Amino acid sequence: MGLKSIWTKVHETLASVRTGIILIIVVGVFSAVGTIILQRPTSEPEDIQRAYSPQTLALLDRLGLTDIFHAWWFLLLLCLFCLCLIFVSLDRWPNAWKVYAKPIRFATPAFRVSLPQTVKIAVSDEGGALSVTERVLSRLGLRPERVTESGATGLYAEKQRFSVLAVYLVHLSLLCIFAGYIADGIVGYRGNIQVPEGQALGQITLRDNRGGESKKTLPFLIRCDGAGEETYADGSPKKWWSKLALIEGGKEVATKTIVVNDPFVFQGIRIYQSSMGQSGTPKTLTFTATPTKGGEAAAVEVPLDGKATLADGESLSVLRWVPDYYVQDNEVYKKSDDPENPAIQLGLTNAKGETKKLWILYSEMNSTKGQDAPYEFAIKGATWAKFTGLEVSHQPGQFGVWIGVVLMAIGLVIAFYTQHVRIWATIVEDGKGGKLLWMGGTTNKNRDRFQTKFEQIKTALAKELDGTANTDRKTEEKTLTQA
Amino acid sequence: MSDAQVEQQRAASGASLLVLVGLGVAFALLVALLAVAKTHSGPIYGEANMLYTALVLYAGAATLYMGYGVTGIERYVSAASLLAALGFVANTAAVIHRWSVAGRPPFSNMYEMLLSFVWTLALLTLIAERAYRVKIIGSITMPITVVSVILMQLLPSDVRPLVPALQSTWLQVHVTLAMLSYAACAVSFALAMMFLIQDNMKTESFQALTSAGMIAIYASILLTRFRSGALAVTAYDIDSKAEVMMSRGRPLFIHIPDLGWLYLLVLLSALAPLALYIAGQVKKDASLFDVASKGMFLTLLLQAAGLAIFITRVKQGQYGAPEADGLYSSALPANPFLLAGMVGGIVAGLLYLLLLWRREGLQRMMPSSDDLDRVTYKIICIAFPLLTLMIAAGAYWANQAWGSYWSWDPKETWAAITWLVYAGYLHMRITRGWKGRRAAWFAILGFAVVIFTFFGVTYLLPGLHAYAAG
Repeated sequence: MGLKSIWTKVHETLASVRTGIILIIVVGVFSAVGTIILQRPTSEPEDIQRAYSPQTLALLDRLGLTDIFHAWWFLLLLCLFCLCLIFVSLDRWPNAWKVYAKPIRFATPAFRVSLPQTVKIAVSDEGGALSVTERVLSRLGLRPERVTESGATGLYAEKQRFSVLAVYLVHLSLLCIFAGYIADGIVGYRGNIQVPEGQALGQITLRDNRGGESKKTLPFLIRCDGAGEETYADGSPKKWWSKLALIEGGKEVATKTIVVNDPFVFQGIRIYQSSMGQSGTPKTLTFTATPTKGGEAAAVEVPLDGKATLADGESLSVLRWVPDYYVQDNEVYKKSDDPENPAIQLGLTNAKGETKKLWILYSEMNSTKGQDAPYEFAIKGATWAKFTGLEVSHQPGQFGVWIGVVLMAIGLVIAFYTQHVRIWATIVEDGKGGKLLWMGGTTNKNRDRFQTKFEQIKTALAKELDGTANTDRKTEEKTLTQA
Repeated sequence: MSDAQVEQQRAASGASLLVLVGLGVAFALLVALLAVAKTHSGPIYGEANMLYTALVLYAGAATLYMGYGVTGIERYVSAASLLAALGFVANTAAVIHRWSVAGRPPFSNMYEMLLSFVWTLALLTLIAERAYRVKIIGSITMPITVVSVILMQLLPSDVRPLVPALQSTWLQVHVTLAMLSYAACAVSFALAMMFLIQDNMKTESFQALTSAGMIAIYASILLTRFRSGALAVTAYDIDSKAEVMMSRGRPLFIHIPDLGWLYLLVLLSALAPLALYIAGQVKKDASLFDVASKGMFLTLLLQAAGLAIFITRVKQGQYGAPEADGLYSSALPANPFLLAGMVGGIVAGLLYLLLLWRREGLQRMMPSSDDLDRVTYKIICIAFPLLTLMIAAGAYWANQAWGSYWSWDPKETWAAITWLVYAGYLHMRITRGWKGRRAAWFAILGFAVVIFTFFGVTYLLPGLHAYAAG
């Protein structure tokens, strides 16, 4: 088998509707399987582990069945489907284009035989009959034109010729959607970021389909200038909002208050409100201050980046905040961002401006007891800064998708609700020396409705033509009686 | 002469059996209604009262349509149609009242979606009857509306405020389109079934089809809810009107002892007619079909009993769960999937009985098979663009809310599968000239997928994995 015949074979296979239907079935079946077997990107890892035994899970993973929709063979199927769509359309396009660009205006004898709907009516006056037909067709909403070909005159009327191209528009729109989707798969990304109030961050966490994580730096920083939630009377959430500012090269370039369902779009990057919570960084810390010499203990609230004044004029500030600490070589280090076990370095400044540094190491002792200072401090409470959880996505292919959707809507409406109606009429010989008005028509869909329409034209035509004949006969009769 | 007498006698005994089964079902439904015992407070034009009025009127219309199906008396249709129209008015009032109270279109939960679905279905039925003169369609669609409204009585109906993600116009567009397209798919299904009747498909084949449907229902129930003889139902806290949760998204299942065995028995009884049908086909022994017919009565009675026992046992008593200490109660609202399945099975069985006894009369009343075939196609031509736009609006909403227009979650995937099935139907029809029986089967398959997308994805798929966990 030569290269050419292989190509012919491939072309034949891909250009058949049967292949398309088989591909639709295969894609459908695998999609269904993908909803029955838990998929890694859309399920919690614990749920998957609960549902399958380790051996089963290993097997499913190896077969790619736990992430069908991103598996190479599923994408290959989708690409094959696209190819099939292209070949099927290209194969049938020339014919459709011929109908559209070069409509057959005159019905030759060979063409007449091929038409599904035809009628013949005996007429006496050739020119008059065509005029009557012209009038009838115009009255019924078809605009007939006179066509002369090799000496013979005929009529041609048509409606909604563009209808024959609708199916190609639908196929094209599907390709647009797939192209957009594939483009997003290659260049798009989607991740999340948690920005505490008052901070500006620019690195998002991307999840891959295996449940792993990686980081990506955005071309700008996102600063959260405020965030909050409103609730209904029954406590269920009503509104989440975040006031965001984008900073590029140290300059604020855009601001917007986003809510759920109303994202921030900047340079093709979309920022969504997805969650809300407390960050591990406090806004203020409250301490119980007990004078070492004895006396009433008092509460003192210190902002993280400010100071509070104590009763005798000394001021207290937070020098260092470590949300979760560990000690190594006599040095305090951060273990995690969760404020589970904080270490706080306090600065107590007296009236002379001398600052004493005190440590609270929470898991050892919640107090500065034993450190030389006029007060003992212990953590009493804290108010936490809010953080806003944002989803950041860059999917430039979505424009292809939306264009495809609009094209498809237009295409489907044209495909289902318009029809290409064609009607031809001409004068033919009846073989016995008489003349017949021949009319034929066809449509590309909705044949029964067309049939009704054709019958309507036929009846109207028969009546009009007969009517002329009748008038003639009456005149004749009159003449006879007069004679 | 003697033949005719035998024929008549069979019809008579059939009718009395129909009455018996009908009474059994009516009793079960009454128990269901009484068990709910909703307090109807508020103004007389209020939603609850209007919906109740609509239920009564729809039930009357359904009975009359079915009566027309059984007796062929034309008078019934005009009365049925009047009742359906009045019911539609009450239904509309309920929709308007809820809309004005909630301040948004009623699409946000299962209850509201059913409210809109019933409204659309009733409207389409009236249109099909007036414009296309398909009178018999009410005997299929009206029972569906009745079942839906009863189901709604069991669902929590308080107006819940919308959580932020649902506050989107696109979501409302999406759900409206979904309701419209699903209702159109339902009508195309009804028409396709009527086509098969009119196309002289054998009655025993319908029996096998009904049996297969019942098997699908009870197999899904058992697959997801059978726990070594017991039936797992969702625990429900009456005071807080909410399901009891193990953790986020994982409801607690309590086990009603022995009910699982009963449902296994029901499944076996539903299997019997299909098995007999297959045996009859293989052995070419028509007498087996008659045995299969008797099997259908048996399974219907068992199903009605199963429903009644289910309702009483759920209403009375508390049950334990292996995952949690103590006893919990359940409630019908927490188990809409089970209820819908059981009632659906019974309705399918009754429709089959109607066919069994009144086939000739039914065929006389129906439009010609050619007309049915064409109208089915036309309705799908309406459903398909709506389906397309529905998916597109959903994708657009997802893109606004979560930042991704397509993430292959099960609901999305099944919506796409539905779309593919109907796309396949249209291609086979247009390019390959598939008409008649093959096209009708295709339309039926399409609606089966729609049902799965609507109910199965929500209740069956998570249940499947909950079972794996247990």
